[in-house]
Amino acid sequence: MTETTHRGCPVAHTDFTGTAPLYEHYKMLDNDREQARFLFNDTTDRGFFMLQRYDDVRDGFQQHDTWTTAVRSALRPNTASDPLLPQDLNGQEHVKLRRILNQFFAPAAVRRMEPMAQQRCIELIEELKPAGSCDFVAEFAIRYPTDMFLALLGLPVSDGEQFLEWSDEYFSALLAGDPAGATTAKASIMNYFDEAVNERRANPRDPKEDMVTRLVQARIDDVPLTQDEILTICLTLMLAGLDTTRSALGFIYTHLAQHDADRQAIIDDPTLIPKAVEEFLRLYPLVFQAGREVQEPQEFNGVELEKGDVVWLGIAQANRDPRKFDNPDEFDVNRPNVNQHIAFGGGPHRCLGMHLARLELKIVLEEWHKRIPEYRITPGTELRERGVQLSMAALPLEWEV
Amino acid sequence: MFISIDADKCMGHGRCYAVAPDLLSDDDEGFVAQRGQCWEIPEGLLGQAEEAADACPEGAIAVLETAPSNA
Ligand code: HEM
Ligand code: SF4
Repeated sequence: MTETTHRGCPVAHTDFTGTAPLYEHYKMLDNDREQARFLFNDTTDRGFFMLQRYDDVRDGFQQHDTWTTAVRSALRPNTASDPLLPQDLNGQEHVKLRRILNQFFAPAAVRRMEPMAQQRCIELIEELKPAGSCDFVAEFAIRYPTDMFLALLGLPVSDGEQFLEWSDEYFSALLAGDPAGATTAKASIMNYFDEAVNERRANPRDPKEDMVTRLVQARIDDVPLTQDEILTICLTLMLAGLDTTRSALGFIYTHLAQHDADRQAIIDDPTLIPKAVEEFLRLYPLVFQAGREVQEPQEFNGVELEKGDVVWLGIAQANRDPRKFDNPDEFDVNRPNVNQHIAFGGGPHRCLGMHLARLELKIVLEEWHKRIPEYRITPGTELRERGVQLSMAALPLEWEV
Repeated sequence: MFISIDADKCMGHGRCYAVAPDLLSDDDEGFVAQRGQCWEIPEGLLGQAEEAADACPEGAIAVLETAPSNA
């Protein structure tokens, strides 16, 4: 410990990267938020300024002119060698690529996927039901978004199992800050995407409905996307969409298995499910922070920032800020301002997949509870969560058959 | 009463048109189709307008007593 304040901010040493008992990170995050409005955390080589209250975090997401995604995660500030798209773009370049992608992720596009999403969900549940138990995380929560991801790219769902192995390996290495640890997995994934994209170049489909065809044909300022850019987009969607949805499902089912009244409420009235999903996303944010890099010296609500500083946008701290949400630790399906939660971030980089994620979570809650309304966590289980970006390694559930 | 939607702030979270379906709609990119507009709230829809303003995570929607002078 060398200093107690850094440019006027108290210095904190909280480590958010370890594996811990379930909900431990929320305690650490809430604790830091109540300690001071802004903190400087010195646990990474560059350190980071923490914005923690709802108003500050939202304000931070809106500083996109001068705070860029040159740093995407305050906890992993040195990832320039691992490009992601559209994340790494900023300003007009980012807007132009988002414009191409948005139309495949807008509510109208996502609604077109609903019948297929529902059918696949039912198949997976029916497959698990007779056994009377499962590891919900490994046998359901990751399989479903993986299948949906493949469907989005127009690829066969039967590739799911193989694909899942690669993506898990690569994602774990990336989160550990060691992308070199998974070069083989990454190469297999890129190879797989490369074949898919080439197939679509040879046999284009309707670019209004098929995302890969659209990516192949798209022009930005008259220039087509390169093969590398298209593959990076596919990789990004995989990295951004699979682990997050798995994680959200893990936290939601842990809650429902332990809160009979909340579970009964959505069984009795499934029309509550969309609101419940929003409240779950607010209460259990799993992407608990986003990072930004400051490009110009600037004063932010009293903090003097310099070029190159890393800023932490405390998503989870904002969603659980008592100044914004009354009784923030409680699940309240009728919370009046729940829609203002920022589990999906804000500003121009707000989650591209938010409407798809919402649809997937809604369908799972509807279809699962129609078929398996009563379930419990296998007694004696010790639940744990991964740091950096929360996720549960396992969630054993059981039910009567 | 008027409703006004700031086009620069709207990022397409889609909460507003979900809670105010009779007043707002979505475009094919997922933004509210009425972004950048300011108009008088039709009879009976003030409730939806207020809900939409309260639902927007970007603070892009305002419900106003009078039309702003530059509108
Ligand atoms: C519950 C599930 C999800 C959560 C909580 C979540 C959360 C987030 C957050 C907080 C961001 C903003 C990061 C930042 O500002 O730096 C983000 C960005 C993004 N998300 Fe999600 N996400 C989820 C699901 C998905 C899915 C299913 C997909 C795609 C299939 C997806 C694709 C993306 C992409 C591409 C970005 C980057 C957008 C950009 O930089 O323009 N996400 N997500
Ligand atoms: S809720 Fe706000 S950001 Fe989202 S579409 Fe409506 S106005 Fe735009």
